[in-house]
Amino acid sequence: MASLTPERKTALRREMEALLGKGAVLSDPDELLVYESDGLTLFRALADFVAFPQTAEHVAALVRLANREGMPFVARGAGTGLSGGCLPAEGGLVISLMRMNRVLEVDYANQYAVVEPGLVNLHLSWAVGPNGFYYAPDPSSQQACTIGGNIANNSGGPHTLKYGVTTNHVLGLEVVLPDGELMWIGGKTRDPQGYDLTGLFVGSEGTFGIATKIIVRILKKPQAVKTVLAVFDEIDQGSNAVSAIIARGLIPAAMEMIDHLTIEAVEDAFGCGYPRDAAAALLIEVDGIAAGMDEQATRIMEACREAGARDVRVARDAEERELLWKGRKSAFGAFGRISPAYMVMDGVIPRSKLPYVLRRVNEIAASYGLRVGNVFHAGDGNLHPNLLYDPREPGIEARVLAAGGDILRVCAEVGGSISGEHGIGLEKADYMPLIFSGADIECMRRLKHAFNPSGLCNPGKMFPSRKACGEAGIAYRPHPIEEKGLAQRF
Amino acid sequence: MDAELIRRLTALVGERHVLTGVECSPYVLEGRTPEAVVFPGTKEEVAGVLAAADAAGIPVTPWGSGTRISVGMPPARPGLVLSLKRLDRLLEHEPADLTATAEAGMTLGAFQDALGQRGQWLSLDPPHARQGTLGGVLASNASGPRRHLYGTARDLLIGLTMVLADGSIVRGGGKVVKNVAGYDLPKLAIGSFGTLGVIVEATFKLRPRPDMDRLIVATFERVKDAGQGARAIMASDLIPSAVDLLDAEAMRALGLGGREGAALLVGLDGLPEQVEWQSAELARLLASGARVETRALDGAERDGAWQAVGELSRCAFPETTAVMTWGALPTQVADLVEHGGDIARRHGLNAAFAAHAAVGIITAVLGAGAEAKIAATTVAATLGDWRALVRDAGGHGMLEWAPLAVKERVPVWEPPGAPFRIMQRIKAELDPNGILNPGRFVGGI
Repeated sequence: MASLTPERKTALRREMEALLGKGAVLSDPDELLVYESDGLTLFRALADFVAFPQTAEHVAALVRLANREGMPFVARGAGTGLSGGCLPAEGGLVISLMRMNRVLEVDYANQYAVVEPGLVNLHLSWAVGPNGFYYAPDPSSQQACTIGGNIANNSGGPHTLKYGVTTNHVLGLEVVLPDGELMWIGGKTRDPQGYDLTGLFVGSEGTFGIATKIIVRILKKPQAVKTVLAVFDEIDQGSNAVSAIIARGLIPAAMEMIDHLTIEAVEDAFGCGYPRDAAAALLIEVDGIAAGMDEQATRIMEACREAGARDVRVARDAEERELLWKGRKSAFGAFGRISPAYMVMDGVIPRSKLPYVLRRVNEIAASYGLRVGNVFHAGDGNLHPNLLYDPREPGIEARVLAAGGDILRVCAEVGGSISGEHGIGLEKADYMPLIFSGADIECMRRLKHAFNPSGLCNPGKMFPSRKACGEAGIAYRPHPIEEKGLAQRF
Repeated sequence: MDAELIRRLTALVGERHVLTGVECSPYVLEGRTPEAVVFPGTKEEVAGVLAAADAAGIPVTPWGSGTRISVGMPPARPGLVLSLKRLDRLLEHEPADLTATAEAGMTLGAFQDALGQRGQWLSLDPPHARQGTLGGVLASNASGPRRHLYGTARDLLIGLTMVLADGSIVRGGGKVVKNVAGYDLPKLAIGSFGTLGVIVEATFKLRPRPDMDRLIVATFERVKDAGQGARAIMASDLIPSAVDLLDAEAMRALGLGGREGAALLVGLDGLPEQVEWQSAELARLLASGARVETRALDGAERDGAWQAVGELSRCAFPETTAVMTWGALPTQVADLVEHGGDIARRHGLNAAFAAHAAVGIITAVLGAGAEAKIAATTVAATLGDWRALVRDAGGHGMLEWAPLAVKERVPVWEPPGAPFRIMQRIKAELDPNGILNPGRFVGGI
């Protein structure tokens, strides 16, 4: 798309303001800077406009305007994504949903809520909490990330092990399709007839349109919760404990692992009570009815001890439990204390392969001269190796990217996936051939074409560049927007 | 049919695995006899059969064990039946990962038996749970009472391989419980009734078999009281695996009581402590309502009762005249069951209802006594009134089974509304020549 003349830009801005009201459109380059990346700052690109609709009709009108202008557009929530999924295209329009953040309806008897996409994930649990309910999907960024963004990425979180990812909690969506039509897919009742467009839309990374209302399941808060901390002198012991717990017939609500380097970072930052000299710690939580809770905790502690845990204990009270979870959920932030920069990886493996893959991750990082901190959802095999580096070191980014690629290759080799919850976005588009064949990707292209034939809705995401298809190895290659000097990798 | 196509199919799968002529009679569907039945032995053979049919423009009806084959409009044209019977192998079971992969023609019964040897199971319990094939259960999105706690195929299927009309073999999802790479092809395939592709392999997440598994039967004076009981359970701390509501006719058919009243069947499973506490708490919770009797079933008695609920449509009446599935809000279930019964009686028919009360899925069985054949117009009028009732409540009704004469008068599916445009585009992308189950699905896709 040719860049806009200043006159055209002003005219379009006025037109959008007429639709949305004053103060609802940004177009000054300085203001647009805030929206040039998401949580993955390796990729940056500037939009021409950022617009702040307040209703579904606003969103539809913006999308129709973008279509008329042949202008690419992308929806954006809080920008906490980690794969460049809401990065603007070359110029074009960012549709920020942050002003559409209301809880529209809650039906406790039928256990659903209707919300707007800009609602912060945790705020839904706050809204329904006083009535004894909560919203189960809890990404680590839940204090900031929005439910609309969760829909785009089919986000997970620590409690995925028992409660599933976002898609398992979405009943229906009001969407603006890429051509500007507003419609409902799915609904409040179960098993709607026809293709499961809701299931397809969730996790489509913003390429199928923009959700403007979301019907989610809300769950009764469990009667009781128990959190166990198990400490290991060897990381393999912790890995084996994960499978040992499952083998005892238990599916905990969460099983999280934190390695030595991460423990040090967390303790430096927050002092959450993790032993600094441990090789790894497992945070295991069971929830449900109070009866049988002690039995479950006992089985878990036995399994951990048999796997070689040096110390196993149950959190004494809610306060200690909160502190342990704070350590886990704030780990990414804590890395900032020990490293100027880091890249968060997101791969999934069968949990029985944990000991092997963790060894390989550490070997790969060492071979590139990088430090790696592992903090992840061990229960469902969702790894988050964090590659720590100093961006001032010449040539370091290429090494970080190469190490990341090697790690994803190991995940794929053991039968895993290249994303457990962060999505493909821009970051991993060229890694798709590691787990999908040319035919698989062609089928996905056809589905994209069914929703988004013009390709204006969040272009450039998820699909490998044509030339990467079918190639065995993934080499670094500049994205088209980099080649044109509109974005750069850091 | 083109003799050349038959020759090609025979060359692909072997002579023994192609039926023609009178041998096709077990596969007659809605009065239409297929021109051939093909039994491929591998997914590559499935791909070959589909590519050949696609090139020749011959429709294909994918067929598992046939337990749900009658769901849908009559086929637009006869063509090939593609049986998945020979694709019946368990490919992988990793107990430590709680995942398993099997071919689509494997029956759910055989799958459960294999998993059970390692103390695990797939937490899906659709009607005819043993005979149904994995592919058929997925394609028809079949589910049962335990969906209350464990969800449906949507929540349990993590990876899928299917063959598109042009013969391309495509995979979505993966073998790990958490994966979000690429579009969610498994979700698209579930409930698509074979109109987008033929499912050939599926990977599921599994659960450990619970230590203890109990069924509590609570009987009430009125449907309304059972409905209140179900709401009380939903609002409590209990975590039952199933909450099914039966009306008097369903109770009678299942041998659970007389001609009046209603029942709740509540599944409780987990550790013995959990089951015992919940049993006691359930009794306490329901005691405050109308006259309630509860009894606990374990072992074979429990399994038999759940199986009977799943087969209500076969056992409720000497002659079943139609079966409908309704989707509604959980709080409306008891009202809909009561009014649905009234409507049937007004038309001179009997009805039996079994509902997954806390998810809002209701199976409504319409029957006659042994004495009379009921006119298709009467059945159609009743179904029309039922559908209006459910729609007024914001729900939807799907005609699960009915004779052809009734289907000619009552559409099987609800009108698809605005999303139909997208459905058509998806169909056109994946099956451009319209050879997969043409005419049978929503909106005549």
